[in-house]
Amino acid sequence: MAKITIDDVTKRFGEGDKSIVAVDDVSLDIRDGEFIVFVGPSGSGKSTLMRIVAGLETQSEGDIRIGEKVVNQLGPRARDIAMVFQNYALYPNMTVEENMSFGLKMSTDMSADEIEDAVTSAAEMMDIDMLLDDKPGELSGGQQQRVALGRAIVRDPNVFLMDEPLSNLDAKLRAEMRTEINRLQNDLDVTTLYVTHDQTEAMTMGDRLVVLNYGELQQVGTPLECFYRPANQFVAGFLGSPSMNFFEGKVEGGTLRADGFDFDLTERMQSAVGSRNELVLGIRPEDMTLHDRANLGHEFEAVVDVVEPMGSISYVYLQARSQSHDQTFIVETDGQRPISEGQHVYVEIPDRDVHLFDPASGETIHQRQLGDDAEMALEEQMKPAE
Amino acid sequence: MATTDSDSATASQRLDKDTRETIVTVVRHTILLTWSFIVLFPLYWLASMSLKPPGTANSLPPDWIFLPTVYNYIQLIQDSGFVAAFANSLVMVSASVVLVLLIGVPAAYVLSRYDIPMERDVLVWILSSRMLPPIAVVLPFFIIFRELNLFDTRIGMVLMYVSINLSLVVWVMKAFFDGIPETLEEAARVDGATQFQGFRKVVLPAAKPGIFSVAIISFIFAWIELLFGLVLTSFEAVPVTLFVYSFIGSRSIEWGMLAAASTAMIVPVVIFLIAVNKYLAAGLSFGVVIKE
Repeated sequence: MAKITIDDVTKRFGEGDKSIVAVDDVSLDIRDGEFIVFVGPSGSGKSTLMRIVAGLETQSEGDIRIGEKVVNQLGPRARDIAMVFQNYALYPNMTVEENMSFGLKMSTDMSADEIEDAVTSAAEMMDIDMLLDDKPGELSGGQQQRVALGRAIVRDPNVFLMDEPLSNLDAKLRAEMRTEINRLQNDLDVTTLYVTHDQTEAMTMGDRLVVLNYGELQQVGTPLECFYRPANQFVAGFLGSPSMNFFEGKVEGGTLRADGFDFDLTERMQSAVGSRNELVLGIRPEDMTLHDRANLGHEFEAVVDVVEPMGSISYVYLQARSQSHDQTFIVETDGQRPISEGQHVYVEIPDRDVHLFDPASGETIHQRQLGDDAEMALEEQMKPAE
Repeated sequence: MATTDSDSATASQRLDKDTRETIVTVVRHTILLTWSFIVLFPLYWLASMSLKPPGTANSLPPDWIFLPTVYNYIQLIQDSGFVAAFANSLVMVSASVVLVLLIGVPAAYVLSRYDIPMERDVLVWILSSRMLPPIAVVLPFFIIFRELNLFDTRIGMVLMYVSINLSLVVWVMKAFFDGIPETLEEAARVDGATQFQGFRKVVLPAAKPGIFSVAIISFIFAWIELLFGLVLTSFEAVPVTLFVYSFIGSRSIEWGMLAAASTAMIVPVVIFLIAVNKYLAAGLSFGVVIKE
């Protein structure tokens, strides 16, 4: 087991004017035994960053340390890592047993008996001991996935690297494997880097998330920290499903004039906003409420565009009645609430759930409020761990 | 009544479907049988000619019923020239296949996996060696071979066969390697293998169907080569094709011996094919062997 230090790492592909920056000056400390999830949309550089840690790509600048050792010049074989690939990359000509023992044969001087014991116990752990004589081509996707994990576990490496390992599985299997990988990581307590574009995986799996976009580090933090205290508009929009609603507007006096409605800024908000005259208001679909009539006076009227019933909840796509463009926003409501397309409703935006962002930099200038208990729990999480 | 109607409608639909399937099967089998006949009849004719008593091999009308004899084969085996030519060809062609794979497979791997400057041009240049008809280059080859003391040597013929097959091996194997995901080698490297170990232990076995396919095709192309053998050998390195050709004289053709020698020529190819048969189906599709 080992900690990993990523120090000012930049990766450029190509040369001169045509070069593309895939990873842009990223620095990160990963603690021993930690489960870190690299998350971001495609092209965000998350896979490249993991491949740099693996030694499959060489960084253009910066250092990678595993434990105390700088590994810049070391190939993957000298880094004592194990990796699970998106397409599993099982060796097609070898049986499951040979697939699992290959790494031990290549990288250790264990005897045949010791290797067999290690393979058997890893296979039992992954519940694939009855598949040991099969070739990868004879296995289902889920079984191949288990073999790929087993092949990584059996190596007993310093670091696990997982590159979108669940993306080829169907939804049900993916949920099962998510839990299984979590359990394994807890049991084995091996430092794990996990790459995904799926924000559900990111939220449910990692001790900490590393959110990347266009090769740049956006935020590092616990899943709840990134969710409730997003560093910027990108993180706020990327985490959470459906995404946070964003409304651009101009500040006039203490009021944000958005397209279709006005929102009164609280004093706290106004002091955070300072002299800015443009703002982006962000609020999650589950934090907005729909009313049949205007009760409090500050709701605004909207027309239902589409309703997506999910069972216990429904996602309602709305347009403010007086807005000039036809962009919609989403509100989550109770699944039993009768609501239909074309219906007029009144939308309430609670002050305490509002985030404010700087439209130019995207930076968060005001975070939502949380309940006291939640606030304390979050503070606890955000304390730097020893 | 309605139920009966729908039942009979379903029954007649099923009948229609059964009839359709029968027709399809009959047509399919007729086509396959016809094709098999077209392919196999010349082989049957060749083999039966080789087994006919001397002087009757080419009689007209043909003897459909005759007492088979191995006379022609005994004559052939007793002819030291045939045995030497047959052995020559076996050795030269086998050596050329080994050599062409040793050169071509790694070349194809490198072209598939590394960023080679002007890769496309290199590939077309490799293929260009096959763009001229052999007859156009046979004379320059003759002169080169004579100058390099390769004329009528087995080594010379091996090199000749390699030059014939190299472009095929490189092109087909490159396509094959392209279909093998690079993550396989990356997994091997992460598992502690060197790049070369990854190639040897993971990629090569995965490419086996392709390798056997190009091996058999290279073997056949070299085995049936006549023109260069005719021009570049005289006595020592004569290939079996040339020896078979010698039964066609200017005045007469020794049909029985010709047929026996030709039949004997088929044997190594068939043995080779049977040996690697299980790899060929995947290999000849030249496609992706591993589903992503």
